[in-house]
This record gives sequence, structure tokens and C-alpha cells, in this order.
Amino acid sequence: MSRALRLVFAVFRKELLDGVRDRRSIASLAFSAIISPLLFGLMFTVAAERRRSADEVRLPIAGVEYAPAFVGWLKQQSGVIVVPPPTDPEDAVSSRAEDVVLIIDKDFSKDMGRAVPASVKLVSDVTRDNARPKVARVRNLVSTYSSMTGGLRLIARGVAPSIASAVRIEEVEVSSSQQRLATQLSILPLLLVIAALTGGMQLAIDSTAGERERGSLEPLLLNPVPRGVLAAGKWLASSLFGCGAVLFSMMLTVSVMRRVPWHDLGIRFRVTDGELMSLLALILPLALFLSAIVMFASTFARSFKEAQTYLGILMLLPMLPGLVSTIYPMAGRPWLAPVPVLGQYALAADVLGGKPPHIVFYLLAGVSVLLCAGILVGLTARMLKREAIVFGR
Amino acid sequence: MIAITGLRKSFGHVEAVRDVTFSAADGTVVGLLGHNGAGKTTTLRMLSGLMTPDAGTILVDGHDVGVDPVGAQRAMGLLPDSRGLYPRLTPREHIRYFGELHGLSGAELRERSRSLLQLLGLEPLADRRVAGFSQGERTKVALARALVHSPRNVILDEPTNGLDVMSTRAMRTLIRALKQDGCCVVFSSHIMQEVSALCDRIVVIAHGTVVADGTPDDLRGQTGKADLEDAFVSLSGLETEAVE
Repeated sequence: MSRALRLVFAVFRKELLDGVRDRRSIASLAFSAIISPLLFGLMFTVAAERRRSADEVRLPIAGVEYAPAFVGWLKQQSGVIVVPPPTDPEDAVSSRAEDVVLIIDKDFSKDMGRAVPASVKLVSDVTRDNARPKVARVRNLVSTYSSMTGGLRLIARGVAPSIASAVRIEEVEVSSSQQRLATQLSILPLLLVIAALTGGMQLAIDSTAGERERGSLEPLLLNPVPRGVLAAGKWLASSLFGCGAVLFSMMLTVSVMRRVPWHDLGIRFRVTDGELMSLLALILPLALFLSAIVMFASTFARSFKEAQTYLGILMLLPMLPGLVSTIYPMAGRPWLAPVPVLGQYALAADVLGGKPPHIVFYLLAGVSVLLCAGILVGLTARMLKREAIVFGR
Repeated sequence: MIAITGLRKSFGHVEAVRDVTFSAADGTVVGLLGHNGAGKTTTLRMLSGLMTPDAGTILVDGHDVGVDPVGAQRAMGLLPDSRGLYPRLTPREHIRYFGELHGLSGAELRERSRSLLQLLGLEPLADRRVAGFSQGERTKVALARALVHSPRNVILDEPTNGLDVMSTRAMRTLIRALKQDGCCVVFSSHIMQEVSALCDRIVVIAHGTVVADGTPDDLRGQTGKADLEDAFVSLSGLETEAVE
């Protein structure tokens, strides 16, 4: 046994040395590690920016002179700055010069005096996502003023304003702040899985398809070493790169997350070290499994290019459940644990949702992926015995 | 000592090797001669244990390649048809890796590595990455990794292919040195001079079958041709093909 381990270590060390010297392998490791924090930082900064923009509204109003009282009230609202209107409001909005423009009708004061609905025009563009919170805020302000004024009129006529509202909505929010954070964070497991997949990918290709392409596979197999030893050494080397990508990615992402303006998103940021460790406990074994898949698939390939074609398709597989989980939450399904990839997403969703799964589920998930990885390494070893693989160039 | 009996291998409907039987004793050099596509490389691949014959047995120092491939692989060093190296590793690292795969380690491996680099004249290049090496230099590195475990049986598939005059000479010197050490050397070639200059015995393969097996003089006698090249052409049946 110790002899086999020594041989595995020899293969592992050689592939690692080869990988570290390979610019492509290092580039793919670096890229995998930084894609997640980059995306993450960008996404949340943009979201926070958008929310903040709704709190501070620069509001161009046309026809200020027709409704001095209304405009005066608007100016008193916090974060509202009334500015002069553009010459052509509709053109200004459609050309994105303004997010929203309010146009006050010239009969505004007259209608107010006669107690008929006075009209204002709200110029906006529904296709513009980032203007939406701002438009909603302005609409809200107008309807607040409307119901306030309406209430005063009823009081003047000796009627209680409450008679005008037949139904009152009382909102009860059941999701905890932690769960709201989880929906924001549900992208994190996906990004970590991508890092696990791509981190060791180049090394896996280089040590299998690359070995065939260079014609170094035949000389390698001439050594009195079981095929399983070769497959295991190569697998461990690319797994190390995959795990390294996950660790770097996690560290960088966390340092970015600490800088995200969470309070602007209305979320209290509270991801504990324990939760981050739990995520690692899920994703690191998965990296071993993903490396095994990549190695197995690229052993079929005769060349680098061919391997990349296969892997382009394969890459989608572990990402699909991740993409689905951002739309259709997988939380609360710990029984998915033994299913590779799906299980990790489900458990990660629970971890981030503040409902950590029982340790048994982690073990179940870990043992399951390692078992699958072992099977794939075994299959790779068997493929290395096939003449079509050894000599097919 | 290598003994091959009744070897056969087909790929689909193509019979690459029909019936190959020959042996090579310790301390001798046996040349495997045949034109392109005669079945030399297929025979050597079966000898290496990477290809399973349809029929026949191969013994290397008593280890049956079909039964105990690891034992047989330990007893032989093979320079195969494909000589791919790892472009980012140095010759020293190649030797070290293959030595480790043969179970060598520590001072023993370092010493073996040093003497191989010296033997093959690779010392000035020992710590340079092999990317950019010339064909001759690459072949030397491939040889070094094949010989790292001091095998008693050395099999070389067209060892001088693509080498210049100096490298070819160095290769001949090496083959003679291996013979002096009592190794059993089998090498394949289609170059007559090389075979006649080095070999104690010549095995001529044509269309997957051994058509002649003997000393260079035996072959000349068998065919009645004074020139070994003419003898080879006659034995391979190439004359009639050319006429047709």
C-alpha cells in the first residue's frame, strides 16, 4: 500500500510541477478565483446604487407655477430635490437624460379648488429597470399627497377620512432578514461551483488529452505502475487546483462582501465564519468530484481542442442546478444531499438561509461525491488500458 | 532474454501481425527489419504489454507479458514509436519522474540520473526545459527515461529515426555498450547499414510474418544475394510488388 501511495505522490508531484509551470493552467486558476468576487461586488454595488438613487430623487417638474402648494409639499419631503424641467420631457426620458419627469396640468389649482381630480403627468420608461425604484418613489409621493388632501376635504365636510378606505392592507413579512440575505447570496454557491470546476480544468486536460496529444502517454504507460495510480495522481493534482480556486474565490468574495453597502439594500449583513466554513465543507469535496469528471471526459479526447469541445458542454451540467436555484430556491430539501451538485446547492441554500442542516447531511453529501469521484477515477484508469486510447492519436 | 512465439494481431479485417516468432538472448543485438507497415511497431507494442495479442506468448526474462505485465515491464526498457516529452520539464526531471515510477528514490536515483545524463551527453542541457530541444536531444531524453531502471532487456523502435550523423553514431555506441554489459537489445529499423553494422542476428518481417531469421551471412546465403539490401528486398517480397 505504501508503495502505491508513494507512486501516486510521484505522479501528483510531477503533474503539479507541470501545472505550476503551465501558463494556461495558472491563468485558469487565477481567472476562476477572481470571477466570483468580481461579479459579486459588481452586482451588489449596482443594486445598492439603484436603491440609494430612489432615496435621493432629483425631480424635474414642469408647470411649477400651476401648483405652488403641491410643489412646496414635495420640496419638504426628505431626499426630494425639485429641479427645472427639460424643454421636451418625453424626449428627455426616452433619451435617458432624465429618469422621470412630472408635468403639472395648467388647470391644477382650478381643479383643486373645484374638488375634481387635478391631473399630473408622470413621464417614465417602463423598460428601464434602473429607473424603476425612482419612478415608484415619485408615484408614491403623488398618491400620498392625493390621499392627504382628500382626507382634509372630508374632514372639512365633517366626515371621518377613514370612511373612504374600505380595506386596509397590513403586511406581515415572514422571511427573516437572514433569508432575504440568502436570496441575495444564492449566487455564491453557483460561483464557488464554477471556481471548483474551472480551477483544475486546464491541468486535467493537460495531463490527459494533452498527454495523448504530445505522444507522452505511451511512454508513461510503459512503467510498471498500475493505471489506477496514474489516474489517482493526476486527479489529485487537478483537484488541488480546483480546491485552491474555491479557497481563493471564497476569501476574495468574503473580502468584497464586507465592503458591499448592505444597509443600502435593507439587509443586515451577517454571514458568520461558521457558515463560510460550512460552505467550504460542501464545495471542497465537490471540487474533487468535478475534477474527476473533467479528467474522465478529457481522457476520451485525442487533443486539447477536442477536450475543450467536450468540456464546453459538460460545464453546463453543474451550473444548471445553480442557475435554477437562483430562480427556484432549493432551501429546505436536505434529502437531496447524496445527489452530487444538487445536494451541495440544497445544503448551501439552507446554510445561507440561517437553517444549518444536520452534520449527517454534510457527511452524506461528502461521502457521496467522493464515492462518485472514486468511481470516475476507476473508470479513467480502465480507459487507460484501452488500445484505442493509448494508441489512438 | 526475450522469447516471442506465434504472435498474432488483427485490427478489424487487417491482419497486422500473422505469425511472429523469434527470440533474443542476453548479450546479443537483434535487429527487427521490415519495410513500413510490415508489423514491426505492432509487434513491439505487444511486447511492451500495452497491446494485447490475439494469440501467442511473450516472455521477458521468464515473465509472461500477458500474465505478469508489471514484472515484464520492470525487466525491460522501451523506446517506443511515440517519444512525447513534457515540454515544461527538464531532462533531469524526466529521469527523476520515470525513476520514481520504477520505484527508485533518494541517492540511488540521483546517482543513476547523473550517470545517464553523462552517458548520453545531456549534461549541458540537464536543467533546461525540453521545449525547443532538437530531435536528437529529444530522443536522448526519451532514451534516458527508458533506461533509468537499468533494464536487462532494451527495446528500441526505430531509434535513429530523424537523427543526424553524430546522434546516430552516439546511438550505435550506446547499443554496443548495452551489449557489452550483457543486455539483450532488440531494435527495429528499415535502414540496412545500421542493421548490418550492429546486429548479431536479423529477423526480417514482411506482411506480419517472419520471413527470415539469422546472422547477416545466413541471410545472404539464404537469398543468394551478396548485398544485404538486395537480400532484404528479396525476402520482403518487395521485388515482385515493384514489378507488378
